[in-house]
Amino acid sequence: MSAIRHPGRALAEAVTVVVAGVVAFPLFWMVLTAVKPPDEVVSSALPWTTRPTLDSFVRALTVQDFGRYFLNSVIVAVAVVALSMLVAFLAAAALTRLRFRGRTTMLVMLLVVQMVPVEALTVPLFFLMRSVGQSVPAFGLNHLGSLVLVHLAFSLPFSIWMLRGFVAAVPVELEEAATLDGASRFRFLWGVLFPLVAPGLVATSVLSFIHAWNDFLFAKTFIISAADAQTLPLALQVFVKPDQNDWGAVMAGSTLMTIPVLVFFVLVQRRLVTGLAGSVKG
Amino acid sequence: MTAGRGQGRTALAYLSPALLVLVALLGYPVYQLVVISFFDYGQEQVSGGAPLEFLGLGNYSALLGSAKFWSVLGQTVAFAAVCVLGTLVVGAALAVLATRVRPWARTCLFLAALGAWATPAVAGSTIWLFLFDANFGLVNTVLGLDGFSWTYGKWTAFGLVAAEVVWCSFPFVMITLYAGIRAIPAEVLEAAALDGASTRRAARSVVLPLLRPLLIVVTIQSIIWDFKVFTQVYVMTGGGGIAGRNLVLNVYAYQEAFAASEYGLGAAIGVVTTLILLAITVFYLRALRRSGEVL
Amino acid sequence: MRKWLAGVAVVALAAGCAPVQSGPATSGTDETTGQLRVWLFDEVNRTAKEKVVQEAVAEFQGKHAGVTVDVQYIQVQSRAERFKAAFSDPGSAPDVAEFGNTDLAGYVAAGGFADLTADVAAWDEGKDLVPGVLDTAKVGGKVHGVPWYVGVRALYYRTDVFTELGVQPPSTLDEIAPLARRIRAAKPELLGISVGGKYVYGALPFVWANGGDIATKSGDKYTAAIDSPQAKAGIAKYAELLRDDICPPAQCAGNGGDASVENFRGGKAAMTIGGDFNRKSVDASAAAGKYGVVPLPGKDPGSVAPAFSGGNLLGVLSGTKRRTLAGDFVELLAGKRYQRKMYDAMGNLPTFTDVQRVVADADPFLKPFTTTLAAGTRFVPVTPSWAKIDAQAVLPTMLQEIATGGKDVDTAATSAADAMNAAFTS
Repeated sequence: MSAIRHPGRALAEAVTVVVAGVVAFPLFWMVLTAVKPPDEVVSSALPWTTRPTLDSFVRALTVQDFGRYFLNSVIVAVAVVALSMLVAFLAAAALTRLRFRGRTTMLVMLLVVQMVPVEALTVPLFFLMRSVGQSVPAFGLNHLGSLVLVHLAFSLPFSIWMLRGFVAAVPVELEEAATLDGASRFRFLWGVLFPLVAPGLVATSVLSFIHAWNDFLFAKTFIISAADAQTLPLALQVFVKPDQNDWGAVMAGSTLMTIPVLVFFVLVQRRLVTGLAGSVKG
Repeated sequence: MTAGRGQGRTALAYLSPALLVLVALLGYPVYQLVVISFFDYGQEQVSGGAPLEFLGLGNYSALLGSAKFWSVLGQTVAFAAVCVLGTLVVGAALAVLATRVRPWARTCLFLAALGAWATPAVAGSTIWLFLFDANFGLVNTVLGLDGFSWTYGKWTAFGLVAAEVVWCSFPFVMITLYAGIRAIPAEVLEAAALDGASTRRAARSVVLPLLRPLLIVVTIQSIIWDFKVFTQVYVMTGGGGIAGRNLVLNVYAYQEAFAASEYGLGAAIGVVTTLILLAITVFYLRALRRSGEVL
Repeated sequence: MRKWLAGVAVVALAAGCAPVQSGPATSGTDETTGQLRVWLFDEVNRTAKEKVVQEAVAEFQGKHAGVTVDVQYIQVQSRAERFKAAFSDPGSAPDVAEFGNTDLAGYVAAGGFADLTADVAAWDEGKDLVPGVLDTAKVGGKVHGVPWYVGVRALYYRTDVFTELGVQPPSTLDEIAPLARRIRAAKPELLGISVGGKYVYGALPFVWANGGDIATKSGDKYTAAIDSPQAKAGIAKYAELLRDDICPPAQCAGNGGDASVENFRGGKAAMTIGGDFNRKSVDASAAAGKYGVVPLPGKDPGSVAPAFSGGNLLGVLSGTKRRTLAGDFVELLAGKRYQRKMYDAMGNLPTFTDVQRVVADADPFLKPFTTTLAAGTRFVPVTPSWAKIDAQAVLPTMLQEIATGGKDVDTAATSAADAMNAAFTS
């Protein structure tokens, strides 16, 4: 009925579905390739398979120590998200609510720092992590700690920049009311501001999570020879071989890598939308 | 918080963890990057087998004097421009579309977009390569182009990479703009409608100005990201294409620094890249200010 | 303001105004337990290699209580970055690594590999290493690795296709192009010969057979010679193969040695240039049982084009904390017994005189390769600069530029020579 009453909307919805299909197609193909039997992977262009199998997933999970890599990736990403949210929240609160000298300079620096190509910094960071490792081995090269540190550094500028908008969106009156009630600055920060900014924190954390989760460059450069400290993107490389790529396993591995992020995304989807909008009100 | 003398100190307390991390882990490496760019710094210098030689601006003059740098720079700017434009156009169009449909259709679109966004760059590039493979890629089978190599030709290779970049970066633009449109109070739109403004006029004179700050942010972010695309180019063109004709600045810097061990030259390219990005952004912000916008 | 500047100056001084340099690599300790980290190259038909290595690991762990051996397979393509990172942080580096003899000079100059001269002298099997092969493991008279296998390349061809078309394997280098063209004309689904724009070791015999060379040495300085008329004649001969009527650039320009052989394995090429080490993988492919191998012919009928004497070594990294264990593992895996097993698994040509003789007598397949070896082989310039030239992909870029029509032979060879001279003098 509604299609008749809203011909424009029906058309828009049709276009939306087609676009969604096109956008999702590579992902569909990834999952499909992962469940195809090996002989169909490169020979069949059919968009379905009659003989689905989990062999590729089994190969991906067993041939390599996939579970270990998965856990490593989770450790790094979760540590980065937790730390960067904490640090960025404090910084964003200061940058929006407090007036002090150098505030604008700092904001501009946060933007400028994002322009330095990450790849170019691998060399200085490599040596920095090496020196760090000489005093604190857990944060040195070949250890997961080094990855946590660099991703923390790279996710902060963007996170602070985004969180600033959320903090600004909290009415100043609330703060004044809290101060009148005699709440300490500390209580206000954690008891009032923090919960109000939570949606923004979630939205921001998604982006930090993706950055840390997807990293290939630093994992490749910093984890020199420690097999037990490798992360997922490196594990995927194992199936890209000089003779015949094991596409099934590559796709199965990619699927396994994408799922956690996707789940995270879907869980916070609504907050992400309000969050991204909130970030620009600043 | 009331303005007062104590604010500076509080601000410092709140900012100190961030400052500590940023100065130690970004500021210092950036400083080192600039220092390295003034030296002849190769593998032998790194491992202490050869003395350091201060070159001053030697790396920069070598870089600016090489024809390859200029052609790579031109390619990078053109490639980034195409990616930014593509991302913004696709993202904005779909954001508008998303406001016109019922929730079920919107959810479909958002799920697909979130999927594209969530896909790790390495995995995304691999899937696209697989779809466009010369011999057993689906695209060639469907189009009947068996054996046609998309990654061989300079322009088809760039086009393919650009398409992948747009695919994985438009969701950020789409969702942000959609959220922005949704955040416009209904009264504003109603008021415009009461004034008898047509949909198109309402869009141009009411929605667009309200969205401008948002557009600026997504544009700047897109410029920053697309100018520095690395993984997609590296993976999809095998490190810069046949005879390096698909190089962009960032991959070029990586090749010079890591493959050729010219860390000094690689650092110089990194510094130049940053300066160019800075110049583009400043230019963009200036243009905005001239038209009456402030960040 | 002045205070601020002074502050910056202090920080800058503390931070150091020069880039970081590493100290000496040796760790000084020699532990006898723990984990021994080993890097080997990933390659075509890796499973077979893995099986032999597993066996050696099991044997080694059985003999050394409290020792585990962790083997990682690294990509040949990205080896330069991996090794550099390892050299720059000796503490995180592996203990033992496989590496190509062309990289040796560069790695040793970077201080990466330990001196094994005394080890090899004290090793009872060491005296049987082929002297010429052991020379490829030496820099300045010191041995820095144990030769694990010798790699020479020859011409693989499809016997069924040749019989069907009534053609013979080429007897001179110049015959290859017309022959390949003829085959592709008759069988358009096949590449006349599968070569590649990144296949330097396939292209070099063309240069050498035409009397050219990569570089010439005077004193201890190298000068690029890749732009000499002879070298350019050879390059032109090779580039002629990268055309649509033999091996279309769209398909072949991006290929290195592995990908070139892969086309042959897939039954998509009538000929290719492959090594002794490729043999087992070809036996396990679509071309199995219907291929033959002859030495790559030279300029004149009956002659052999000088082949590149490739080969991989096993070395001990200078930063190892388990020097003795690492040395023992190298001597086990590169020793006679495991070289023989590697030969059986991969077809890799052994580096011991006696083992080489035994396998050559038993296996007629090896004849084209031993003939090629006996005819004399050539090598890339022995200088640390070579690692850099290799990493900058100077020769592949030259070949690809010619293949894609971006530059003609003269211009491409001149820019390659310039790039090489820049590396030689830096």
